[in-house]
Amino acid sequence: MPGGGRCPDCGSTELVEDSHYSQSQLVCSDCGCVVTEGVLTTTFSDEGNLREVTYSRSTGENEQVSRSQQRGLRRVRDLCRVLQLPSTFEDTAVAYYQQAYRHPGIRAARLQKKEVLVGCCVLITCRQHNWPLTMGTICALLYADLDVFSGTYMQIVKLLGLDVPSLCLADLVKTYCSSFKLFQASPSVPAKYVEDKEKMLSRTLQLVELADETWLVTGRHPLPVITAATFLAWQSLRPSERLRCSLARFCKLADVDLPCPASSRLQELLTVLLRMAEQLAWLQVLRLDKRSVVKHIGDLLQHRHTLVRKAFRDGTAELEGGEKELQGQGLGPGQGKAEAASSSLDLPEGKRPASPALLLPPCMLKPPKRICPPPPISTVTGDEDISDSEIEQYLRTPQEMRDFQKAQAARQAATGVPNPP
Amino acid sequence: NSHLEEVQETSGHFSCVDLSFLPDELTQENKDQSVVRSKHEIEENCKTQSQPSRLSLPREKDIGLGLISCSNVSNSHSHLYPGDDDSVQPSLEKPNSMPLVSLTPMTPMTPVAECSGIVPQLQNIVSTVNLACKLDLKKIALHAKNAEYNPKRFAAVIMRIREPRTTALIFSSGKMVCTGAKSEEQSRLAARKYARVVQKLGFPARFLDFKVQNMVGSCDVRFAIRLEGLVLTHQQFSSYEPELFPGLIYRMVKPRIVLLIFVSGKVVLTGAKERSEIYEAFENIYPILKGFKKA
Repeated sequence: MPGGGRCPDCGSTELVEDSHYSQSQLVCSDCGCVVTEGVLTTTFSDEGNLREVTYSRSTGENEQVSRSQQRGLRRVRDLCRVLQLPSTFEDTAVAYYQQAYRHPGIRAARLQKKEVLVGCCVLITCRQHNWPLTMGTICALLYADLDVFSGTYMQIVKLLGLDVPSLCLADLVKTYCSSFKLFQASPSVPAKYVEDKEKMLSRTLQLVELADETWLVTGRHPLPVITAATFLAWQSLRPSERLRCSLARFCKLADVDLPCPASSRLQELLTVLLRMAEQLAWLQVLRLDKRSVVKHIGDLLQHRHTLVRKAFRDGTAELEGGEKELQGQGLGPGQGKAEAASSSLDLPEGKRPASPALLLPPCMLKPPKRICPPPPISTVTGDEDISDSEIEQYLRTPQEMRDFQKAQAARQAATGVPNPP
Repeated sequence: NSHLEEVQETSGHFSCVDLSFLPDELTQENKDQSVVRSKHEIEENCKTQSQPSRLSLPREKDIGLGLISCSNVSNSHSHLYPGDDDSVQPSLEKPNSMPLVSLTPMTPMTPVAECSGIVPQLQNIVSTVNLACKLDLKKIALHAKNAEYNPKRFAAVIMRIREPRTTALIFSSGKMVCTGAKSEEQSRLAARKYARVVQKLGFPARFLDFKVQNMVGSCDVRFAIRLEGLVLTHQQFSSYEPELFPGLIYRMVKPRIVLLIFVSGKVVLTGAKERSEIYEAFENIYPILKGFKKA
């Protein structure tokens, strides 16, 4: 407390050094009058009772933005521009980055983590505005590992206590499908492969909704499902010319990466469509398989709600041992076959629609890999006597020890590695 | 109500109850004290109305059905003493008063699953103990057949025994971590065996501060779950990122347990220090999951 100062307003001697950000001020603690403000000189004698607040004592230290944080904020803005996000997103993402930076754990983190943090802030902003941006895209742009990204993302969501909405599937379908280069003829895309964007989008959307309803989307990465749906939509719009094109070739000519799980999603989707086809009398006669059903996708999608209701029965009812819900599922005349195994795909001889299959996620329809018997009830108390012989079985005899040491020495000599300390 | 008859058969005396999973330092006086303490906790529990991790079912509705309210599960019936039949907590008015028998106050030995009928199975117990002496890890790795020591990779000896099938990390400070046991008693027995091995190698190993640090349990609700719906209604506790992990991560507040919920209906519960926390957490989540059975 500098001596000798008096407040010009109330005359009190209780003057306190306070700083407003990094500007030093002398304030009267009785009436609040600001006595002096921000002097530029630092000579003690010049100022008399006034002293410049040193950096280490100023509360402005935390208000200053460190160079590393400045770099991070620049990166956030750059990323927003590269992704062509609306300008409001930039400010939100920057605010999140600053908020994160206030935490000591983030301030002291490695540069790799701070880099990934940039992506996390942008992703959270996009999610909150329902802008469909996948983590894969961000990791590709940042050259980051998905594992590192996921760890930082989970940490920052927890640290900042944020509610991040789920990825919006419909919007993702629109942006992802639009990125397929199939809407104009080019040297790599012959005319018969070119498709109308709106038609493809609407059909893909319907197929993705169908997949969601039949448990093919929950718990899985969303993108491969959309890839498979886009492929089927494209094929079904002109099946005669496009049935010969494989999924891999399709992605190549559309200039889109083929995600690994897409082929198995495709098979699952075709299985669902086949089951639906079995409920239509005129399709039943045709004895469709996974290739020929593509020609009828348009019809199947048109009546998809009814067909799904008829083709599948509530899986939960079956597992719980049959409840009244079964009756509400609108079973056809094939009621007698309702107890049959769900995984059979055999078409009936007659004109009756096939018995409904279980509507369950694929992981529940597969037979269990190994049957885990329930462990026997253990009567261990933890206080049993431990016999010497049981312990001795784990100890080496002197001869074994000598052999072990010889073997270790030989191995180290062979690899040229010095003995560990 | 056959399970309630089972409750009556398990006697109300502590002597036939297996309390070996209790921490070593718990003496008889402490046991009595904690019994009294937990009874007070239950009384408070019964009176609390809002608990964020539970469905806000009106209590009267449950009682009207003659069921024990799911939201009071692990504490209510198992902690009231015989002779308290008439002085049952006022908020638990049951139309058919069922004589309630006391089981062990700390944790139910055979958990009675009133609402779900499913009991989570313990899969892994992690415990620590202090052997209270400095250890020469090189010597241990040389003398013991079941030991691995790679100082460049990890600064501890990795030792394994066959029965109970567990793994231990033994540090030069004398601290030890024991993992892989399927119950608290087995974990304690295994830790004692490791301590004996270390003793036989000539170190003055003791067995101090044995503590169970983490328990992992799992079970199957046997119906498919719409994880997207669950994350919408329980956003403040759930984290569902299908791009990263197929399961939903549910962080329950009371008890403080993390649950991994999968579309197939399998549930993994972890973060418990006591068995009762796992059972309680499952009884809390089961009604929530049932709400998503038909979507």
